[in-house]
Amino acid sequence: MKDILSYTIRRFGWMLLTVWAVYTVSFVLMRAVPGNPFSSERTVPPAIERQLRARYNLDAPPIEQYTDYLVGIVTRGDLGVSIRLEDYTVNEVLAEGFPVSASLAILALVFALSLGVTAGVVSAVYRGSVGDLALMGTAVLGIAIPNFVLASLAILLFVFIIPIFPAAGWGTLRQVALPALCLGAPVAAYIARLTRAGMLEVLGREHVRTAFAKGLPKKTVILKHVLPGALLPVVSYLGPATASVLTGSLVLEKIFALPGIGSHFIYAATQRDYTLAMGMVLTYTVLLFVMNSLVDLSYAVIDPRVKLQ
Amino acid sequence: MTQTDPQNTTTATESSQTKSSDEPILRVNDLHVSFKTDEGMVRAVRGVSFDVRAGETVAIVGESGSGKSVTNLAMMGLVPKPPGNIDSGQAFFGGRDLLSMSDRGLQSVRGRHIAMIFQDPMTALNPLMTVEQQLTEMTRLHLSLTRHDARKRAIEMLGLVGITAPEKRLRDYPHQFSGGMRQRVMIAMALSCEPELLIADEPTTALDVTIQAQIMELLADLQARKGTAIVLITHDLGVVAGVADRVLVMYAGRIVEKADVRSLFAAPQHPYTIGLLGSLPNVESNRDEPLAAIPGQPPDLSQPIVGCSFRDRCEHRFERCQTDDPILTPRESLGSEPHLAACHADVNTGETRQ
Amino acid sequence: MSESTPPSLPSRPVAGPDEAALARILQESREIRGVSLWQDAWRRLRRNRPAMASLLFLVTLMLAAIFTPLLPLQSPVDKDLNNRRFLPPNFDTVVMGSRDGLKFEDGRLTSQLAKYQAEVAEERAEILAIEDVSKRTERLEAFDNRATVEHPFNQLWNQLGPVAFTMCRVRVAIFGDWAVPSLFGTDKLGRDLLARVFWGSRVSLVVGIVATIVSLIIGVSYGAIAGYLGGTVDAVMMRIVDMLYSIPFIFVVIFLVTFLGEDSVKKILDQYGIEQITIFYIIIGAIYWLTMSRVVRGQVLSLRHEQFVEAARTVGASPARIIFRHVVPNTLGVVIVYLTLTIPSVMLFEAFLSFLGLGVSPPDVSLGLLLNDGVEALSIVKLFWWVVVFPGAALALTLFALNFLGDGLRDALDPKMKNRS
Repeated sequence: MKDILSYTIRRFGWMLLTVWAVYTVSFVLMRAVPGNPFSSERTVPPAIERQLRARYNLDAPPIEQYTDYLVGIVTRGDLGVSIRLEDYTVNEVLAEGFPVSASLAILALVFALSLGVTAGVVSAVYRGSVGDLALMGTAVLGIAIPNFVLASLAILLFVFIIPIFPAAGWGTLRQVALPALCLGAPVAAYIARLTRAGMLEVLGREHVRTAFAKGLPKKTVILKHVLPGALLPVVSYLGPATASVLTGSLVLEKIFALPGIGSHFIYAATQRDYTLAMGMVLTYTVLLFVMNSLVDLSYAVIDPRVKLQ
Repeated sequence: MTQTDPQNTTTATESSQTKSSDEPILRVNDLHVSFKTDEGMVRAVRGVSFDVRAGETVAIVGESGSGKSVTNLAMMGLVPKPPGNIDSGQAFFGGRDLLSMSDRGLQSVRGRHIAMIFQDPMTALNPLMTVEQQLTEMTRLHLSLTRHDARKRAIEMLGLVGITAPEKRLRDYPHQFSGGMRQRVMIAMALSCEPELLIADEPTTALDVTIQAQIMELLADLQARKGTAIVLITHDLGVVAGVADRVLVMYAGRIVEKADVRSLFAAPQHPYTIGLLGSLPNVESNRDEPLAAIPGQPPDLSQPIVGCSFRDRCEHRFERCQTDDPILTPRESLGSEPHLAACHADVNTGETRQ
Repeated sequence: MSESTPPSLPSRPVAGPDEAALARILQESREIRGVSLWQDAWRRLRRNRPAMASLLFLVTLMLAAIFTPLLPLQSPVDKDLNNRRFLPPNFDTVVMGSRDGLKFEDGRLTSQLAKYQAEVAEERAEILAIEDVSKRTERLEAFDNRATVEHPFNQLWNQLGPVAFTMCRVRVAIFGDWAVPSLFGTDKLGRDLLARVFWGSRVSLVVGIVATIVSLIIGVSYGAIAGYLGGTVDAVMMRIVDMLYSIPFIFVVIFLVTFLGEDSVKKILDQYGIEQITIFYIIIGAIYWLTMSRVVRGQVLSLRHEQFVEAARTVGASPARIIFRHVVPNTLGVVIVYLTLTIPSVMLFEAFLSFLGLGVSPPDVSLGLLLNDGVEALSIVKLFWWVVVFPGAALALTLFALNFLGDGLRDALDPKMKNRS
């Protein structure tokens, strides 16, 4: 318990450091870009120019802007005002899109884990069978087909040809299901392969032979003695998996026209809305950091030999 | 030629006579096991027969790859299939053939009636489960103990194998134990359902020499108390001399010599056994005299073997050894059990036997 | 060891039975043939059918990618909005440069080339006749520039490099005007999909390989240095990697790509002769080194105390030399395996960025761009399946093969794992 507490505190410290580094780099880049709303090269009417300057505190020296913005983030969680979306603060945009993106990502991860682990276990247990070959073939296919292609094919198939899902929209489970499936598919495929490899490795270990020699039924041996060890690589993959789901959601939100933060991010980046882009980079950094820490924690919970550091 | 002092073996033989009855609890009959590998079919066990009586200790000796472990794993249904396959044979235990039993039937025998301990206690215990979980899951399954009773039993067993403060250690994971302690845990686990037969597959090979002696002593002590029969698989003849009643020597998937321990050490009848005994270091022998190693390599079991499998390494070989595979034939025994060896030569005279 | 024993040993005068025994044992051990790790791995790999099929496919693909300009394909960029939009796959032979609206002589590439060369020669002769030297050079330079732009090849292909240009010449010399029919159909602008898939694979493969090499260089150096130096340096270096793992790189990349796509930034880069695609390689490579560095560090940590490293240290080799001459080559197996698994993810990432319009930009083609076109065409009610199926299959097959080869290599280099999986 003490381990976990001190680990959490230390990780939190590292997170602050990471976020600070990301913030600094983004800030410098933002100010360095020529043609950005803060640079003097822009030709805007003087009235608007004045307004902009006042709003973004541009008259202050850069160092002061840097600290002011940072203080704003730290004390009030205020990420500033969106440059392109008039009348919106970055926080408002995030608050609006976040529930959508978060439920999409969580659903995708849950789907990927349940499908991937089941497929991996089945194919390891029936290793070499037709089922194993079919599952692993599908898994390689799942890894090799980009999810935007998969999504387009899925739309074609399930929306137009066999209409069981609505084309777009947000709110009901039916509307979320198809994007989540497409988003989770490559992750599920990877998890299936990891689980299978892990299962086969653990199945070859001596302690599994001991478990069989103890007279335990096959099901008990597989579920209690093999699966936990086989899941260790899957648990470590969950960090990268989260990153991959966040990445994929950028595209899928575009294809399925979902109002998540991913679609805002593409817009923000291509329209050079730097405050919005930075707000999102910071949000995602925090998310990913928390996820990675959770992964480390659960790894230590499953494997008593691992010391948290 | 070195020979162990006959005095050592007498005690073992004598005690065995008091505890073993004549009815075998396990009878293995003409067992054949093969493995499919990249190099072809490897016939790992090529017709092995033996029996084990209640309460006695049978040692199976041989180099690695001689099929001694596979024989026992096959009996327990623990040979991985594929690549392994049991081609033929029976193993009768309690009147039923283990090799033709259903999975369910085998499960009720494993752990309950026949238990196993393995060579490397570092890997044989599940690293992700506490000792308590690993000890109690067996008694709860086979003896239908409640959680509470199973725990009590686990504490009792750990105490029995000499682990101090067993209540506390139950919560520990295997990596928190030393190698010797882990092997003790393994033994506690194996004996917790009071099996009739314990198969110990090189139980001391991975341990320090001092610990080895302790573990062997523990096994002998527990055997005396519980009357468990033991099949001891080892390549260490030194261990055998101290604890075994009877010895089977295996070479290239076959039993080449079978005798009671006293007779085997006093008058080995197979050139391979003689070689094995010769490679044991002996305090009395001359220091300048090098340890005799058996020259050559065991045969490639993926190729068909014609004639005697040991002939290429044998100093007594004849024409006949090229073509005829010797079978186990009785020799003069110095003990109470028959002494059998599979060799065309009479090792005492060096001449061919008729 | 046995192979290094001098063969003269058994013939030495035998002093006693011990020596004879020794000689015999040496003889025996010499008969056990030593097989090097690589030979052994190759033997195992050769038995793995899917891996060998993948290897064959990849070698063919590489050759096809290198020699694409030599193949008798149609133009990947020549549009025909009038007659050839969304043609389904067909076997109607096409003559290069024959479409309406292209002002090629006789509607043939060869005739146009002949005409072009005749005109160029004529005009050159005219210019060379000018007396004034400085004026002549000036005219000649201007003319050469114009001639390059007007070359028929440059209307059918986009920015051919010198090597590709020569290959196109050879191709015209061999195949003349003949080109492979539109076996994969045509896209929404009437461009031949077969040619586009070939040229697109070329770009995607180059991106995959170059970016992976960048990640390889960074990752191996970083990991090897951290692992070899160990202690505090290692701890700090690996902490940094941990930290970088938590940065959502995709966002940083998008940020950087848009930043670099800014006109003024482009101008500055052009001044230094840096192309945007180069930056792209570096950015992708700079993301994918993290895992590589971890893998290499783990290997180096375990190799650090091997005897050959100790030996190198005792003879006074510098740390840099020990790391890169003695330690790194021994991590090669793991690195190769990881490499075959990085290339597919980089290619996927390229496709992903191109799909978002942030990667390779037209008129260059890549599989990602083709897929983007295909996906756009899909949402139309009429089913132009070929525009998505063929590029998709090309990408999927390549990634498939790379994955299988990677798995095969891992099994071959780590036989212990093979028996288990």
